Amino acid sequence: MAGQSIYQREIENLEQSKKFLQSSNYSQVELQLEYKKLVENYEELIDQVKIITKISDRLQNKLNKTNDALENSNIQLNNLNRQLNETIDQLTEAKIGRKAGTIVMIVVLALFLISEAFIEPIIDRAFPDNFLVGLGLKLVVAILIKPGEDFTNKYMLRQARKKQIEESKIKN
Amino acid sequence: MDNLTIEGTKQTPEILFDAASGILKISGRSIPENTFEFFNPVLEWLDAYKAEAPDKIIAKINLEYFNTSSSKYILEVLKRLKSIMADSKDVLVQWFYEEDDEEMMETGEDYEDVSGLPFEIIAVEED
Repeated sequence: MAGQSIYQREIENLEQSKKFLQSSNYSQVELQLEYKKLVENYEELIDQVKIITKISDRLQNKLNKTNDALENSNIQLNNLNRQLNETIDQLTEAKIGRKAGTIVMIVVLALFLISEAFIEPIIDRAFPDNFLVGLGLKLVVAILIKPGEDFTNKYMLRQARKKQIEESKIKN
Repeated sequence: MDNLTIEGTKQTPEILFDAASGILKISGRSIPENTFEFFNPVLEWLDAYKAEAPDKIIAKINLEYFNTSSSKYILEVLKRLKSIMADSKDVLVQWFYEEDDEEMMETGEDYEDVSGLPFEIIAVEED
């Protein structure tokens, strides 16, 4: 295991000292030398621990700062995304509103033509002296324009949103 | 002696050690899954290089970020360079950091203090 560790050298030094301790056959000078080596290794190890801890803490701080910056960027990105979606929604609503208006106008025009060509002669025949019946019919059609437009608008918006949801499901 | 070239990845730094010119470059990010596996060949190359090193060696270290175990290996690299310097070779470490990266600048200063090698701490403009 020692051969695969980042503390390979330190482990080797420790093993050497343990081996020396087990031998019990050493002189005072040898003991002093071994002890000196051990102290030097220990000192070096402390220096290493001090510097590595210091650097590690500092780089953790850098990582925290980067994370904070990333979090802020995400918040900004989400806000921009929300604004973009709102704008897209507004544009879609405006587009659909125009489309619905056009459809209703075409229907009204068609109803007017049908009324003039087919219904009006029947009314004239049924009520020859009362022009108010024909006028009333036209008034009813006119009154129905606004609710008709609103209904068409809402229906088309619902369809557009349904389509958007299906498209986003496919994308995800 | 062969040059040592290790291509950089998202997790490991690029290593470009040119034996003849004495330019030793380490750059990028160092967060390997297995630091020993990555750095051991680097240290072995430096051990072998000690006997064949030219008179002047410049180590160019430009790291964006590194993990704790890499910091230990960087220290080991610097120790090898110190050992080469002890053989009367001229060794210089150029420590590069992005100009607003205070942490990396101070880290360079710490390595300078602990290694006892001549350092040049150089700010570079951000990409």
